[in-house]
Amino acid sequence: MDRADRPLSPHVFIYRWQITNTLSILHRVTGVALSVGLLVFVWWLVSLAGGAADYAQSLEFIGATWFKLPLIGWAFCFFYHFANGIRHLFWDVGAGFEHHQIQMSGWLVVVAAVIATLLFALLVII
Amino acid sequence: MAQFKLPANSRVKPGKDHGGAKDAPNKREFQVYRYDPATGENPSVDQYSIDMDECGPMVLDALITIKNEIDPTLSFRRSCREGICGSCAMNIDGTNTLACLKPVEEVKGPVRIYPLPHMPVVRDLVPDLTNFYAQYASVKPWLEAKTPPPPDRERLQSKEDQEKINDPSACILCACCSTSCPSYWWNSDRYLGPAALLQAYRWIVDSRDESTGDRLDALEDPFRLYRCHTILNCTKACPKDLNPGKAIAEIKKMMTDRQH
Repeated sequence: MDRADRPLSPHVFIYRWQITNTLSILHRVTGVALSVGLLVFVWWLVSLAGGAADYAQSLEFIGATWFKLPLIGWAFCFFYHFANGIRHLFWDVGAGFEHHQIQMSGWLVVVAAVIATLLFALLVII
Repeated sequence: MAQFKLPANSRVKPGKDHGGAKDAPNKREFQVYRYDPATGENPSVDQYSIDMDECGPMVLDALITIKNEIDPTLSFRRSCREGICGSCAMNIDGTNTLACLKPVEEVKGPVRIYPLPHMPVVRDLVPDLTNFYAQYASVKPWLEAKTPPPPDRERLQSKEDQEKINDPSACILCACCSTSCPSYWWNSDRYLGPAALLQAYRWIVDSRDESTGDRLDALEDPFRLYRCHTILNCTKACPKDLNPGKAIAEIKKMMTDRQH
């Protein structure tokens, strides 16, 4: 039979979600979410430059109760992406590649991001 | 590009239950990916029951039992049954490993067995490794030196220099690492993947090799090397406990070091 007709073996939906691929995709997803969040952030800054009336209008949107939820989401995205970025910097200099280090640094990043998000949510957002 | 959905001819259909030791007290269920090129039908997942009291402890033992006693049409590669040859690499319980080194006991529930992920399937658990081997060949896995060896003996190297290549030389090219890598799934046409890069590293750091610069030049490419995003599924998957993820990071470091 023609080699091109061979079926492709299953991949992403059968592979186990381990700390390695899970945190990697989370890094990508939080990065995308932050890009969207940046637009909101810039819109808020522009309104600030636009004067009191503009700012009052944007504050009405950003300060709304329902908007606290996406803000907390973006805060988590920021803290996770930031912490995991530092993890990547260690890898870039060749450190942290042993099995137990990959595991430990992964959990450290997740716990740090959750704690930072909780603190930020309690102290700033809510 | 990441294509999550399988092509139409690759989607897995429900298969049949071949039975086996249904009433054994110590039975285990095995769900095995099947594909027969002769029928032209889509792949399926078939079910087999094995009495573990009558079967060796490893997943490979169970596959051999299935082939010998229940279904002789089941195809898979195997040879040494002790983690030396790399033939029986497959996806077991969601991760890539060698069937001969994976105890059935380590798996909870039904034992799901698929071919190595995102590979063309020749038949059942046998993937087509042509591209994988071509990529290995592309890193020129041999010694390149212009200086002739001493006339009276082989090229010597220090203990420290030998230790650098000791681990990467132990690679058996089973392809567990490369086919565990999502980046390799999406870009295996242009990204070399962890196995080939580990071997590239093995020759780059070899103190007797004199083509280090050329070897690095060949990898200086947005895809061949830099599609590695340090996901590290490779290092986690390696059944020989090697560290392709670290080797790739070392190559990237050498790339930046030589710019100064």
